[in-house]
Amino acid sequence: MNLTERLRSVVRPSRGGESAAHEDPHTCGPGPTDGLSPASVDPAYCHSPCDTFDGEWRESRGERYVVIDRSYPPGHRHGRAVVADNAPGSDCSWPALALLEPSIGQSRVLFIDVETTGLAGGAGTYAFLVGCGWFEGATFKVRQFLLARYGAERGLLEDVAGTAADAGALVTYNGKTFDVPLLETRFLFHRMTASFAGMPHVDILHSARRLWRTAPYRPLNGVGASLGGPRASCCLDSLEESILGHVREDDVPGYAIPSRYFQYVRSGDERPLAAVLEHNRLDLLSLALLTARAAQLLEEGAEAAQTAREAYGLGCLYLRAGRLQDARACFARAESMESTATAGTADSCVSAEALRALAVLDRRSRRYDDAAAAWRRLLALRACPPRLMLEASEALAVHHEHRERDLHLARDLARESLQFATSGSRATAVRHRLTRLDRKLAFPKSARRAGQTTFPLFNPQF
Amino acid sequence: MLPPVGARPPLDDGRGGSERIEGPSTELRVGRSGPRGALRAEVVRNTDPARGLALQTALDRLTGGRHTDHDAPDAWVTALRVLPALSARYASFPDGISEPLRDVLGARGITELYTHQAIAIEHALARRNVVITTPTASGKTLCYNAPVLNAILRDPAAHALYLFPTKALAQDQLAELQEIAELLATGHDAQIGVFTYDGDTPQDARKAIRGRAHIVLSNPDMLHSGVLPHHPRWAKLFENLRYVVIDELHTYRGVFGSHLANVLRRMLRICRHYGSNPTFICSSATIANPRELAEGLVEQPFELVSEHGAPRGEKAFVFVNPPVVNRQLGIRRSYLSEARRIAGEFLKRGMQLIVFAQSRLATEILTTYLKDDFDGPAGNRERIRGYRGGYLPQRRRQIEKELRDGLVQAIVSTNALELGIDIGALDVCVMAGYPGTIAATWQRAGRAGRRSERSAAVLVASSAPIDQFVVRHPSYFFDASPEHALINPDNLHILVDHVKCAAFELPFTTSEQYGCHDVQEVLRVLSENGLVHLTGADWQWTSESYPADAVSLRSISSDNFVVVDTTRGADVIGETSFTSGPATLHEKAIYLLEGALYQVERLDFDGRKAYVRAIDCDYYTDAITYTKVTVLETFTMAGSGVRHSGSEGDQVSAPDPRSPIPDPGIHAHGEVHVSSRVVGFKKIKFYTNENVGSGELDLPEQQLHTSAYWLTVPQTIMAALPYAADDRRDGVVGLSFAMRQVAQLLLMCDRNDIGISIGSGSQADDTDLTRTGHPATIPDEPCVFVYDNYPGGIGFSEPLFGMRAELLTRTRDLIASCECEHGCPTCVGPIGDTGPLAKTVAVRILQLLVDSAAPARVVA
Repeated sequence: MNLTERLRSVVRPSRGGESAAHEDPHTCGPGPTDGLSPASVDPAYCHSPCDTFDGEWRESRGERYVVIDRSYPPGHRHGRAVVADNAPGSDCSWPALALLEPSIGQSRVLFIDVETTGLAGGAGTYAFLVGCGWFEGATFKVRQFLLARYGAERGLLEDVAGTAADAGALVTYNGKTFDVPLLETRFLFHRMTASFAGMPHVDILHSARRLWRTAPYRPLNGVGASLGGPRASCCLDSLEESILGHVREDDVPGYAIPSRYFQYVRSGDERPLAAVLEHNRLDLLSLALLTARAAQLLEEGAEAAQTAREAYGLGCLYLRAGRLQDARACFARAESMESTATAGTADSCVSAEALRALAVLDRRSRRYDDAAAAWRRLLALRACPPRLMLEASEALAVHHEHRERDLHLARDLARESLQFATSGSRATAVRHRLTRLDRKLAFPKSARRAGQTTFPLFNPQF
Repeated sequence: MLPPVGARPPLDDGRGGSERIEGPSTELRVGRSGPRGALRAEVVRNTDPARGLALQTALDRLTGGRHTDHDAPDAWVTALRVLPALSARYASFPDGISEPLRDVLGARGITELYTHQAIAIEHALARRNVVITTPTASGKTLCYNAPVLNAILRDPAAHALYLFPTKALAQDQLAELQEIAELLATGHDAQIGVFTYDGDTPQDARKAIRGRAHIVLSNPDMLHSGVLPHHPRWAKLFENLRYVVIDELHTYRGVFGSHLANVLRRMLRICRHYGSNPTFICSSATIANPRELAEGLVEQPFELVSEHGAPRGEKAFVFVNPPVVNRQLGIRRSYLSEARRIAGEFLKRGMQLIVFAQSRLATEILTTYLKDDFDGPAGNRERIRGYRGGYLPQRRRQIEKELRDGLVQAIVSTNALELGIDIGALDVCVMAGYPGTIAATWQRAGRAGRRSERSAAVLVASSAPIDQFVVRHPSYFFDASPEHALINPDNLHILVDHVKCAAFELPFTTSEQYGCHDVQEVLRVLSENGLVHLTGADWQWTSESYPADAVSLRSISSDNFVVVDTTRGADVIGETSFTSGPATLHEKAIYLLEGALYQVERLDFDGRKAYVRAIDCDYYTDAITYTKVTVLETFTMAGSGVRHSGSEGDQVSAPDPRSPIPDPGIHAHGEVHVSSRVVGFKKIKFYTNENVGSGELDLPEQQLHTSAYWLTVPQTIMAALPYAADDRRDGVVGLSFAMRQVAQLLLMCDRNDIGISIGSGSQADDTDLTRTGHPATIPDEPCVFVYDNYPGGIGFSEPLFGMRAELLTRTRDLIASCECEHGCPTCVGPIGDTGPLAKTVAVRILQLLVDSAAPARVVA
């Protein structure tokens, strides 16, 4: 056996994740034995990514890459959203976003989304398509950098860095975990400094989860849960549908994207990449529109919320940013929207969380009576989860013991909370309280003799 | 009540504290002691006379007062060697070592170096690769810490990478380095970051470590899958990598070593990309070929430092073989009871000792024995401690401290002993069972022995054939080591896996080379499978996969069999390689793990899973495998020159200088094809080795393409044997069995790493089998094949061919000196597997092969 034969017997087609065995009609797996080998490509077809995608070549150090520019005019509709309605102010900044990331200040924002050769990370994963988007007035512009040849990566990255430098802040979807670290790695690989590494960066994924995640997870395109990729749980696509009202047709699924690129590399036929470019553009547009929606909510406050969950999520975002008044207004709004919502809908579980948040906030602000009222409303809810019942009854017990001085009521509440205490430590804590209350009720004079409104320490010997 | 142990203030000898012996009975000791390492000097008596006397008394009780070096293979004590005391030999610090470092080392009691340290450091400072083979506790860590710290002091951008086989060893080194770094920071304002980076490093710490570490302590697996594939994030390390330190180099042999060689190839590739060219400092236990191993792993020339200048007290080394209690079956008294008794002799005289056992179960048994004998009722202070692998660093530090302070008198441990350097030194080391290699035995024995006092090491042999061979042939052990650590970095399976990883890390160019095969051809085949694509002058990686995840550094393919314990649910308890799978995991096989027994209930061959259940039984199983070897290509032959089966060409060169004993047998090595099939199994009772049952099996045939060494017994010799055909066959079978034992020793490998087969090497072999799976009739000129049991070969065959003279003489000695009458598992195989004359005939064949006067000629 010569070397080649021996090598072939050693390098079997892998059993696991090495070959792309997906059902994308445009890729038929690797190797010369499948349908899309170079020999089967129409020899008369002239490879010209620039023409196919309506882009232009840019050259750097003797290598070329493709830059594709698109505009979404002010009147463009994407589902229910219109571009012009979602553009930021004339200076192209969203002050409201500073609530999510203070360092953003008044900077111009650049949206970024990359398509890569895989999710593994490391030196062998690279971005073959970098999509950048921004608002110019009421128009949304997109510029995409396509790696037509591997050797051009350095020039492409320099161009991307230049585009980012023109802006002052980045907005991505899951970019903190995936897109930006990956780009950083590519810069390091080429021994370049990543100028955008220190830029203010808002990853909208986290806010989106707070505002819009519905309780059951909805699979992507009905093809089953995504493979743990950057769009897992609260996918951009599903938000695009539910919040913006746009449904994609003939979209290429995320997991099939790397193999399309590899097929282009091997065959030179760039036509299947058109769908990838469109996918990337729509991702950027949705990202921008969702960001605009989030910014709008943050700016307008509780009244702008359209669902109870949105109101509650908005309240949580305000809370994180330290805007307690706005947060309270949101929680209150969430509760009131809830009571008018149909029972059993997705909104109906929000009430309990909103009431709890309201009560905790009031307690922090020393509005004890309001807090107690909220706890009581919480206890009166029909669909209140046990752990919240426990928290509410405990909080009320504390309130009545130490502020209202109504020891009997406190004890009743403590007894009630016992039935919700599931874990041993919680139950023990409740029993300590009961013991203490019993003792106080039995010997009232000793409590008053202390003469102060201090909280007695728990003594296990009693 | 036992007297307190070690009443002197503990001076921490393990850190290379220097000392001078001023007179026959006193010495000035300078060293570090106490938690802050304060400098201490004191005059102590040279040896505590009481202790030395106690040791001698105990030894005399064991050896019967023998004082000679005559070995007695049949006696209870088969060997007593007294290794004389060595005084320290000093040299001054090389000029290149900077002032601050000298100051700090001086503060730790090191004002002069031992000779080997000075030489090694000199090489390292001059940027020459160096490999050091020195015994335990001779200050080898200074050989690498000094040049590394020196480089960083002179250039704060310099970095170093340390590789250890286990995380625990890295942890221990970390403590040492951090102390010195701290001294340098406070005294000399030098900030040196020292961190471990391995699978246990928390995610949020990793980024900080990449930024701040000058010295990174890691292990081959982490380097392979966690560092190299992410090299852009490690740019600072690779740009400025000055030194790479590899500890315990001898562990990187066989499959593991072949993988490491490739990991280092990838690393050096990345270093070249970043513009660095690190110097390697390696340390190895004593083996026959340390320089060859280092040069094979790193593919660069190395200096060897093997003489050492560290002091050593007189050491008595005793070999004990438990006596035979049943001559017919060849059964010996339990070695664990022997070890218990022997340990007891030392314990009751107040010695501090360490006992090594071969499995967790044996450790637990011995711990219980000794506690029963010495600890008294529960609640008393524990003077006897058992030690398991996997203890956390704090626990290990605590045990070490208690040993140093004399609170613990004996510790019983498996070979997973991961105690660091700071265990101090003990009086006696008792090894219950042979550790498996000479190198490992010396390492363990090195745990006993204070700098200038007498110590002892006792090896108690179990009835395992390897143990018996070593204990009955002490010269094998005490003469120059014949153990060779061997690798084959160009094994195609291993090479291809790492080419994939390398292509992921940095695209190959069309002019690049890697290993000894044409890597461009490898890349072409990889591109056929869609993993890479030639774009311009680069092989671009075109796959989503992360190739390092699919490569295990300890096996050839990811095709292993997984052992699933179904006793309580389904737990994965072990793994075997694909080639050993059917033989060890067939249905009804007994699978041993750490002394616990499991029976295989079902083997899912295609799914590569074996389902086992815990069982309590008194037998184990041994598979009957039929193997047939076909020679594909003969690389080299040595023999009488009369026959040339399978070789091309007839060039005859000068008599082979490697073969001092002339032998007319034909030796060869080359490429072979092995097809094997497990056809049945035997049930063998523990302890008595009786055959208590058997079974038939029908498992798929396995094909293996690998390398082999083989011995052809010439027809003239076979015809000269005055025995019947069946007996001649038995003799060859017995010979092959014994050769296997010896080959294992010479190659430093396990039983399953090699395979044995008898045949003619050509296609037309008889297929009738005996009960033991060997051919019922053998060719007129039978060949005994010793093949590497790994696809592609793992580098054993050519070296074994080179050692063929020793192989034959040792095999002859093994069989001839065995005490059994007609055969036993130690020499030619258990009675019942071999015929009554197997032993006799095998010896005769070997005598004819070894003692004949025909000249040997090498034919290439």
